[in-house]
Amino acid sequence: MSYLLLTFLLLPLVGSAVVFAWKNPASKFLALGFAFAQMFLTLYMLAGLDFKPTVDGVLQYEINYPWSQFIRSNLHFGIDGMSMLMLLLTNILTPLIILSSFNEKPGYRNTFYGLILLMQFGLIGIFTALDGLLFYIFWEVTLIPIWLIAGIWGQENKKIEFTTRFFVYTFVGSLFMLLGLIFVYTNSASFALTDLYNAQLNTTEQTVVFWFIFFAFAVKLPVFPFHSWQADTYTYSPTQGTMLLSGIMLKMAVYGLLRYLLPITPDPVLGISGQIVLVLAIVGIVHGALIAIAHNDTKRILAYSSLSHVGLMVAGIMASAIVTMKGSLSTQGGEGAMVQAFAHGINIVGLFYCADILYKRFKTRDIRQMGGLAKVAPKFAVLFMIILLGSIGLPLTNGFIGEFILIKSIFDYNKLAAVVAGLTMIFSAVYLFRMYGKAMFGEGDERVLSSAEDLSGIEFSVLATLAGFVILFGVFPQPLIDMVSSSLKFIYASMLN
Amino acid sequence: MSVLIIIFITAVAALFSGVFDQGKFSRYISIFGLLIAFYVSFLPELEFFSQYKAMYEFGANAALFTRISIVVTLLLFFLGGFAFSNHRSHQSELYALMLFSLTGGIVLFGFQNLVTLFLGIEILSIPLYVLAGSSKTNLRSNEASVKYFLMGAFATGFLLFGIALVYGSAGSFDLYQIHEYSVNNPKNYMFAAGAVLMLCALAFKVSLAPFHMWSPDVYQGSPSLITAFMMSVVKISAFFAFFKVMSIGFSGITAGWINIMGVLIIITLFLANVMGLAQSNAKRMLAYSSVSHVGYLALIFFGLNNLSAYNLAFYLFAYSLATIGVMMCLIWVEKIKRETSYNAFRGLAQSEPILAVAAAVGMLSMAGIPLTAGFMGKFAIFAQAIEDTPFLVLVAVLGSGISIAYYLRLIMAMFFPKESSFNTAERVPLTYNIMAVTVVIALIVFGIFPDLFARQFGI
Repeated sequence: MSYLLLTFLLLPLVGSAVVFAWKNPASKFLALGFAFAQMFLTLYMLAGLDFKPTVDGVLQYEINYPWSQFIRSNLHFGIDGMSMLMLLLTNILTPLIILSSFNEKPGYRNTFYGLILLMQFGLIGIFTALDGLLFYIFWEVTLIPIWLIAGIWGQENKKIEFTTRFFVYTFVGSLFMLLGLIFVYTNSASFALTDLYNAQLNTTEQTVVFWFIFFAFAVKLPVFPFHSWQADTYTYSPTQGTMLLSGIMLKMAVYGLLRYLLPITPDPVLGISGQIVLVLAIVGIVHGALIAIAHNDTKRILAYSSLSHVGLMVAGIMASAIVTMKGSLSTQGGEGAMVQAFAHGINIVGLFYCADILYKRFKTRDIRQMGGLAKVAPKFAVLFMIILLGSIGLPLTNGFIGEFILIKSIFDYNKLAAVVAGLTMIFSAVYLFRMYGKAMFGEGDERVLSSAEDLSGIEFSVLATLAGFVILFGVFPQPLIDMVSSSLKFIYASMLN
Repeated sequence: MSVLIIIFITAVAALFSGVFDQGKFSRYISIFGLLIAFYVSFLPELEFFSQYKAMYEFGANAALFTRISIVVTLLLFFLGGFAFSNHRSHQSELYALMLFSLTGGIVLFGFQNLVTLFLGIEILSIPLYVLAGSSKTNLRSNEASVKYFLMGAFATGFLLFGIALVYGSAGSFDLYQIHEYSVNNPKNYMFAAGAVLMLCALAFKVSLAPFHMWSPDVYQGSPSLITAFMMSVVKISAFFAFFKVMSIGFSGITAGWINIMGVLIIITLFLANVMGLAQSNAKRMLAYSSVSHVGYLALIFFGLNNLSAYNLAFYLFAYSLATIGVMMCLIWVEKIKRETSYNAFRGLAQSEPILAVAAAVGMLSMAGIPLTAGFMGKFAIFAQAIEDTPFLVLVAVLGSGISIAYYLRLIMAMFFPKESSFNTAERVPLTYNIMAVTVVIALIVFGIFPDLFARQFGI
């Protein structure tokens, strides 16, 4: 049993409890302290991690503790390369998200920070769980804090409606996942991940389970026809809530798709189900991008851009899975998706923060009423541009390598699909540059511009850190790929057994 | 059986404290008696009582269910002081009647014979007819009482007719002889008709749709603490009786009634959840939610195994705890606002955060959100039933999906507004805050360590 991992799991929970209890405006510094401590712990664990072993071997940081005599499930946690990448993303972004709220007036209360740390606890649980039931439990645990954050601090006149839709939608989705997992469990030795992989299911059963589990992920991602909750939730939540949702929560589903869905139910991938998912994902890419081009609300543009980018990840994962099931092991799609998930997390958080900064300056989210900010805010203009380019996927930014591998993996499966999916790079340039141009250049309202200031210290430090990551992982993407490749080899290989 | 006797004596003592004008002590007498009964339930049964074995046996399951219903009754009695504060003149009767009803429940936990079953059901129900109407000046309460009594009498008729048919064909009241008969004569239609009639009568007692019509009105009209008692203790007792009759007595002719049960479950889950969605009154919503939970519980009849009774106990206990958490919040709001619409709860989290959290955790547990006991209960029942009938589990999942929407409405009313609508100087009594913390801790601890339940209550 690894006490390091236990500390790692429980630190955010303890932090959350302490922050909840301490009703003081200074509790935000405490929350930030906990988030930073967690980040350094992650880096420390990263330094000692060997990326080779995967879930069927012995993991380095492992907790395995019998839980209940009535349920064949263990408290089983562990870290391999793929989890580590997601943990890195979670624990780098959480302190930045907390920091980004420090300028809010009137400030947020201790409960807000307590909920963010609780959310972090749930996310860490998801990325370290090696047991189907634990995965489901943590999947739901993340829902409550984000729902409360969105509901209590969201836009006043809309919040009842959008939070209900968000909660009911995701809850129904995850109930289906539970049903699917229970069904697999009744046909396998236990909820342990390797037992779920080896469950005895025929193709029909696998197809039903595939769709049940996929439904939960499809809602969370979201994939094309299940995205109706997304735009409203992203738009009306407080900025930090949107950052958590788009930056980290969405990656839960990318991770789940690889870790749970594909190895548990490989057969349907080869049949019509795999094709349907691939087509839905590609439809999502184009659909999201086109809507983003048509919208004028900054947060809505970013919400639909997220839909479009996520579609590419799903398409890549499925394309590689289909190629693998046809007999030639291919892990490219998975690698691309994980690298892209990491990059997208950083970029979308940066972009939503930029949207928030624009909102603070112009008091509107409508890009038609903005303009000319680059003149008075040059530092912001530069950092905004770097993050924007990362999101578009310019070479030497972090978005490039992931998208490149993803499109390559789709190309290996079907050239036409790759051409359509590749549109995402062109479209994202269109809507993001349109947003940037309208907001930063052109004639602005002089009265607004004269009182607008460049970045404050906190805004600068958050954006500069994110922009630094954009360039860092753009120039050196290889460590990220090395991190996930052996895990993915195991996952795709176990599809074949 | 000693537990039964102790609780009966306690009830009589509580009643007599009122006769001697010492009604204010009745609560302490009851709590004291229940604590003794709880302790005694862990002791081995006296040899003397084994001669009653043909009628009543205090076996392992009976002990388990007795313990949980005593604990739940105790928790409810702790809430009694504030909840009954406007019933000062006849407090002793209320506690005594609740204890008599609990006695009936305990008779049901150990019945071996259909006569004992009938006696238990009646002892359980008759005090409830009075309790439902105990808010004498309230028209709704009177309506609840009369409605409950009339419908209850009707159900009793069904039960007796069913027992008569079963006795007529099997020639015995003994549960195990009926079991033998059902195994040997699966094609006797008179016997099957008796079984179905008894199913209907017991479905009425546990309020399984379409025999649930009385419950929303009765639950809404009764004083809130009595409603909580009906939702928790009465449901535990009646459902266990239902479970025992069907799974032991009629297990030989399962094919004859299991499909009826399936249809009733589907009706219950859809009707109760959709109706719950349509309510604007929190108490009535909770009544429908209570009906819907019977739908989930009834899945226990599918894929029966030797852990079923334990799973049933766990679910019922988790549900009762959650009910207490929500109802104590409702009692407070009702006292301040004199009504229980969703609007009455606006901003409760700002003025009484502990109570609001207890209600929220209670409702999340009812909805089956992980890390609460309610999730573990639902999980166990779903995992058991899915081997037999995946379709019904799918229906139950859809039902849960609908149900979350009405729980959310109440939670949102309590937590989302920035200002509290409670501008009163009156604070929640300390016992309520202590109870709220207890309930929240219990729900979460049993949700994380489900084995603790087995260890504490012993199986």
